[in-house]
Amino acid sequence: MSTFSGLNAAASGLAAARRGMDVVGQNIANQATEGYTRQRVTTQAVAPIARSGMFSTGVVPGQGVSVTGVARLGDALLDARVRDAAAAAGYWSTRAVAATSAEAAMNEPTSDGLAARLNAFWAGWQDLANTPDSGAAAAVVLTSAQELAGRLAQGYRAVSAQWSDARTSVDRNVTQVNSAADQIAALNRQIRDATASGQSANELIDQRDLLAQNIARIAGARATVESDGTLTVRIGGNALVSGTDARHLAVGGAASIEDGTRVTLTWEGADAAVSVSDGELGGALSVLAPADDGGTLAGLAAGYNAVATALASRVNAQHSAGVTSSGAAGGDFFALAADGPAALGLSVVPTSVADLALAAAGAGAVDATNADAMSQLGAADGSPDALWADQVLRFGVATAGDVQRARLSETAQVAATSAQQSVAAVDGDEETVSLVTYQAAYQASARVLSAIDEALDVLINKTGIVGR
Amino acid sequence: MISRVTATSMTQTAMRHLQANLTQLARLQEQATSQRAFSVPSDDPAAAATALQVHAAQQRNDQYARNIDDGLAWVTTIDNSLSASTSLLRRARDLTVRGANSGSLDATAKEAIAVELQGIRDELLAQANTTVLGRAVFAGTSNTGAAFDADYAFSGTTGSEVTRRVSDGVAVRVDADGATVFGTGDESVFALLDGIVADLRAGTDIGGRLTAIDDRMSAMLGVQGTVGARQAQIERAKEAAVGQSVSLEARRAAVEDVDSVEVLVKLQSQELVYQSALAVTGRVMQPSLLEFLR
Repeated sequence: MSTFSGLNAAASGLAAARRGMDVVGQNIANQATEGYTRQRVTTQAVAPIARSGMFSTGVVPGQGVSVTGVARLGDALLDARVRDAAAAAGYWSTRAVAATSAEAAMNEPTSDGLAARLNAFWAGWQDLANTPDSGAAAAVVLTSAQELAGRLAQGYRAVSAQWSDARTSVDRNVTQVNSAADQIAALNRQIRDATASGQSANELIDQRDLLAQNIARIAGARATVESDGTLTVRIGGNALVSGTDARHLAVGGAASIEDGTRVTLTWEGADAAVSVSDGELGGALSVLAPADDGGTLAGLAAGYNAVATALASRVNAQHSAGVTSSGAAGGDFFALAADGPAALGLSVVPTSVADLALAAAGAGAVDATNADAMSQLGAADGSPDALWADQVLRFGVATAGDVQRARLSETAQVAATSAQQSVAAVDGDEETVSLVTYQAAYQASARVLSAIDEALDVLINKTGIVGR
Repeated sequence: MISRVTATSMTQTAMRHLQANLTQLARLQEQATSQRAFSVPSDDPAAAATALQVHAAQQRNDQYARNIDDGLAWVTTIDNSLSASTSLLRRARDLTVRGANSGSLDATAKEAIAVELQGIRDELLAQANTTVLGRAVFAGTSNTGAAFDADYAFSGTTGSEVTRRVSDGVAVRVDADGATVFGTGDESVFALLDGIVADLRAGTDIGGRLTAIDDRMSAMLGVQGTVGARQAQIERAKEAAVGQSVSLEARRAAVEDVDSVEVLVKLQSQELVYQSALAVTGRVMQPSLLEFLR
């Protein structure tokens, strides 16, 4: 056994403690870095040198400590749970946000809503029935009819604009997914190479997990770590990223709410459909779906159209049943544009009291039987008012459901993230303790070094000088 | 699994709870300031649907109240006009009875009766052409502005009525048929009085005309009775509309308005919760091991 072996052991202790302090420094420096997972130096005691030769050299102690690596204290299972929870939360929060903003645009039940405009319109006919010869009352009816048509168009346009915004966000989300997939593929290569050459890839893995979490939130992707250290990301069962290869998504289908078809996702270049039923993209696709498939926005737009159509047909039927003050038969009151959505194509035909068919046929010039009958349309079965009230109720119930589920899935996501963070996050106090520990270890190793040094000093400088 | 607690997770938890408290506080504040129990239908879909129905019913009821006021103006005008007409006709009957005593009257006295009868005829014609806001109340749905012209021709349309809607499903007739009240053309009360005047001046006996006057009088009184009944009906509808508006407002308030006291108490306690959360967070976030290492 070498005289100086103790010095080596002490030096390895110094090196290990210093490496420990370096890693603590890295942890503390990244305390607030998103996606950072805490690290710890792993050490191993070095076994004594194996004996060789035939003569026993006595009992030999170990040869100090060796740094075997820097461990990343993450938990793949918890990471996967976070991704799953993020996918669900992304889906429901996208739906809830779309539904609540569409609901806010409805302005119900307030004096600015469609229901209030309808009420004012019917009431106007009663006033006109009281004074059928009054140009003022007729002007009120005509103005409120125009206001009503304007309110319907405005409501429809708000829904249509929201649909376009959601469609744009699908494009943006797909771009994000594609770029994240490319980055994950590049990171997979770096991580595989680093692992193969025995280097630490901890920071790269942190970055990759963060990207995988983003893809999960956006597109509901599932991710699994392969044996070579690469991460495979799957959407709807098919690989988005596999090893160092990434595929891309492409958006197709409806470009506006009037198209009435689905917005579709395909694999770029392959023309095969991708089924995304989770994540923000899944939520956006369900919001953008046609009315027949339960699309939130298209359903509301169809509601506006149904009200416009019912309003036009009922009012026109009643108006045609009457005669004007000059005895001419009343024609259509509302005109519907031949093409395009009914809510946008509604216009008022009469321009003055002379065009209004207020009287029943054969009655006097200022008879108002027809105007009175018109005013009662709002309270009839299947009236536009009833259609709209039903629409508001159904939309409110659906929105409340979406908001409730969004809240639940957010709670689940918070729980999953907390569980992940409880393992992976850096704690200042803990790092301080580690720092103090490594500092003390360093000091102790230094003390060992100087003790051996002093012992050797005695041997080298003070030995054999008896009587000198 | 015993979870490891870190400064980061504590910060996040604290942030989350503060955010939740603040959300609740903001919601209560909105309720307290707007005094509305819900702001969007999804807060309470059933209440929103009820609110829409109640709003529509309130609007209709307000409209019925306006219709009723307008209708009352018509029936009271007609009632006054009919009262005036019957007393005029009664005076005409008295004069006719006096004029029929041909033996005791000289030509001057007869002429005086004739002149007064002519005045009564003019007054009756004026009553028959009474208007409300430019509409002749006895002319029905006609737009000529007068029920009877100088030839006593009636301008109204037979069988067409002026009605006012006083509640859901109930419309009340508010005009009176001028033809029934005053008669038309040669059969009219005006032509009758003209005939009496002519007979009086010609010296013919006018005693036989009394039956015609009595017939006309009973026709007028009959219509007046009907109009009075309708007036009573409209007044009942008015009372009902007032009662209805009170009960509708109560229903609307029950659905839409918040209980102020309840919201204020909740707001106070929520403020307390929020302040406590802030204070606790402030204390928990402060310490770190570094402060105790020297």
